[in-house]
Amino acid sequence: MGTTASQLGKDMLSEYQELTFLTKQEILLAHKRFTELLTKDEKDLPNTRVPMDRILTLPELKSNPFRKRICDVFSTSEYKDGGLTFEDFLDLLSAFSDSATLEIKSHYAFRIFDFDDDGTLDCGDLEKLVNCLTGETDDTRLTPEEMRQLINNILEESDIDKDGTVNLSEFQHVISRSPDFVSSFKIVL
Amino acid sequence: MEEHKTVNFMRLLSDDSTHSTVSSDSCEYYQTEIFDLLPSIQASRPEQSRKPSEAYQDGPVPGEESVHGHLSSGPRDKAPTQPLRNMVICIQGKRSARERRKMQISESWRRSQSINRKRVWAQIVGALSGLLPWQHTLHAIEGRFGVGVKAYFVFLRYLVHLNLLHCALICGFILGPTIFYGSSKSSEPLKFGGNDSVLDFFLGSGYLDRSPVFYGFYTRGSLNLQCLNTPLLYLTGILTILFLSLILVVRRTTVGYKHTWMLGKRYSMNMSYKIFCGWDFTIQDPAAAALKRSFIRNDLKLFLEEQSFSRREAQRTLGQRVRLYLLRFFLNLLVLALLGGAFYLIYFATKTSQDEIGHHWLVSLVLEYLPPITISFVNLLLPHIFRKISSFEDYSFTMQVNATLVRSIFLKLASLGIYLFFIFKTTKHQPHPVQCLENLFGREMYKLCIFNFLTAFCNAFFLNYPRKLLHEKYPSSFLARLCGKQHFLVPFNVLDLVYSQTVSWVGVFYCPLLPLIEAVTLMATFYIQKFSVLRCCVAEQRMFRGSSSSVLFHFMLLLGLLMAAATLGFNLYRQEGTHTGAFPGPGNIRGLANSSLRSSCGPFGNGLSVFNVTGVCVDSLPGPAQSTLRYLASSAFALPLILAEILILTSYVSRGRANQKAIERLKDMLVMSSSDKRFLVKQHTTMLRRQRNPCRVRPATIEENQPLTLSHEN
Repeated sequence: MGTTASQLGKDMLSEYQELTFLTKQEILLAHKRFTELLTKDEKDLPNTRVPMDRILTLPELKSNPFRKRICDVFSTSEYKDGGLTFEDFLDLLSAFSDSATLEIKSHYAFRIFDFDDDGTLDCGDLEKLVNCLTGETDDTRLTPEEMRQLINNILEESDIDKDGTVNLSEFQHVISRSPDFVSSFKIVL
Repeated sequence: MEEHKTVNFMRLLSDDSTHSTVSSDSCEYYQTEIFDLLPSIQASRPEQSRKPSEAYQDGPVPGEESVHGHLSSGPRDKAPTQPLRNMVICIQGKRSARERRKMQISESWRRSQSINRKRVWAQIVGALSGLLPWQHTLHAIEGRFGVGVKAYFVFLRYLVHLNLLHCALICGFILGPTIFYGSSKSSEPLKFGGNDSVLDFFLGSGYLDRSPVFYGFYTRGSLNLQCLNTPLLYLTGILTILFLSLILVVRRTTVGYKHTWMLGKRYSMNMSYKIFCGWDFTIQDPAAAALKRSFIRNDLKLFLEEQSFSRREAQRTLGQRVRLYLLRFFLNLLVLALLGGAFYLIYFATKTSQDEIGHHWLVSLVLEYLPPITISFVNLLLPHIFRKISSFEDYSFTMQVNATLVRSIFLKLASLGIYLFFIFKTTKHQPHPVQCLENLFGREMYKLCIFNFLTAFCNAFFLNYPRKLLHEKYPSSFLARLCGKQHFLVPFNVLDLVYSQTVSWVGVFYCPLLPLIEAVTLMATFYIQKFSVLRCCVAEQRMFRGSSSSVLFHFMLLLGLLMAAATLGFNLYRQEGTHTGAFPGPGNIRGLANSSLRSSCGPFGNGLSVFNVTGVCVDSLPGPAQSTLRYLASSAFALPLILAEILILTSYVSRGRANQKAIERLKDMLVMSSSDKRFLVKQHTTMLRRQRNPCRVRPATIEENQPLTLSHEN
């Protein structure tokens, strides 16, 4: 708390270092990039919340199909508008950093993929997820028949307890056996 | 009992893949109110998604509050020593968690120390991984061409590392001792002059023949103890190289095998990986993102296509099946005929190249290179024919690639084998005695190696690049349309790599610097292939499966290594046979063969052989060691060895089976408990509805009592 937007105190810096996976340089860089997003009069206010559409102009997020979900998940806004404060932004970078653990990464990945925020990945979530991956337009989308087959496949493989949805532990089970998840679930400024 | 039955029923249902009923049924179940209150769901529920619901309600409800208190203490109690940043909550939450923790000073100091240590360690690891060459190039290639093409380049890098390791070993075991303890003869100044010409670098004759490149250079030096002399070091070096390669390659193969095949279809997570780990969050470039999307789409489509193909395959009628098998039979006959023809061609070329007498230098150069040219030509042409043939056989796409690969590797290794065989045969009947037969053999391998590289070079710059230019300049011309767009054919390029590595292993005994040459050419190949991929090729529409095929790559490499070891063993054994005169043949010819085969150069010159030198060493050892070694080498040792292997194998197999059973049992338990949960939740909601009680205070208390009463009812 109490960060003026223009500079970052030394004790704040060490606190952020303790609470996130980021190094000092990374935090400073993140601060610089974040203040660039602020308008002139916002710079003097502490704890400004940058709206989602301005966050999405960052090149690191611009071409990511899950950019809106990422903002939603990391936002602590009470209005659920996906706006990020500097600390939310640090949270985001920490989860996507090199040194974050598989546990953390898979947890956030699960929440990003859980489009309706109900705690499990059901058929609707999976369909949205696949559409994000293949592209949203009509000619890039899979046909309904293919989609049905695909979702059946996913559930057959990873829905271990056969309740028709993929829950967090099942998701983490799948993720833990993928060698390159940690290296690909990464956003570095 | 009744409950147990329903569980099995559910399990059956889901196994019969009637997912629609299960999922529609469960749709109801996880949308019920009590589902949200289950501890397992709440543990994974994000904190802020609860906040609004709290805000929307008309004031805090006592029951809800208690649930909250229980919740926020949940993760903290679970792992009080867990670092704060490992908790899945926002920074504000972490701060309050820290307040609650009230760490002792020493503990916090220790923690900050461990954080620092970890940070330093992470930096070291990062710096080390930055040292791995070509990381950036690999990433760029993967971004544009997918995992399959990247697998090729990773394989190439692995071979470069392997060859550099070989170089280090050769420097230590062979080159070093020869330089320090070299005999007076080899210290003659190596001069480039006289009859030497640049051509010698391509033929491996003349100047190179006298240089350290070949076997003949390494004579027995002044280091002449019984168990420590240059011949023995030479032998140790070569054997170490072969053994080390064997271990490394087998390790890579088994690791990949375990990942792909051992786990089997039952536990395969292919599809889920592709969906859950499919997106690369590091992508920033919009073009790369579009490419990645198309890759994922194509990959999914390919997978679904393969799946429906296998379903179609299962539905074939008997008549169709018979027709297909007949077709496959004839196509296999055709493949065999093609292979036979190719082998005859190689035989013919080798024969022609051996009887060269006094031609113009250009003609003699062509004749010298006739066998490598023929082999390369055959190897260039036939795999493409095999690819066409396998497309008629109605296999799935991956199976097509694998069939082509297996046929081509057979062709490659067999043609190399035939070539080696003829070299053996012709060197035996050399009309005039040559100074150093081993050098002759090494020279052939040297030529093959150089020629391979030249082919790759020419292929890239004189074939692919002009084609690409043609396509760019005149996209509508007939020729350009005939050629079509170029794709990077991973299997064939991998075949080339395996082949050249095999040549290097076969030749290393006779041409010790071959690994160095191989490493240099491989590095050059990397840049050439990078050029041809990034500049000349377009991304394939159909993806090549990376992970399962890398097992096949390494398996082929293993075949090559075995072939190299067999060649070396055969060669040494043949020398030994003629050397001791174990088979007294009809005087004249045998005598001639003896005199020409007995090497007069290299570390094992002057009537020494590999078996002699080791024998002398063994004789000098103390008695018990000697008898142990003799026992180890005798056939009496084979029986206990085999028995021990069988025992170890059996124990591993049974352990694997037991684990598999345990996995099955655990899965069954999971299914059972989850269907229990589902059943209870449903029962609970129906009861709630019956009571028509909208009270929101109850669930927390009912949650505790409900299971008990329900089980009583049952």
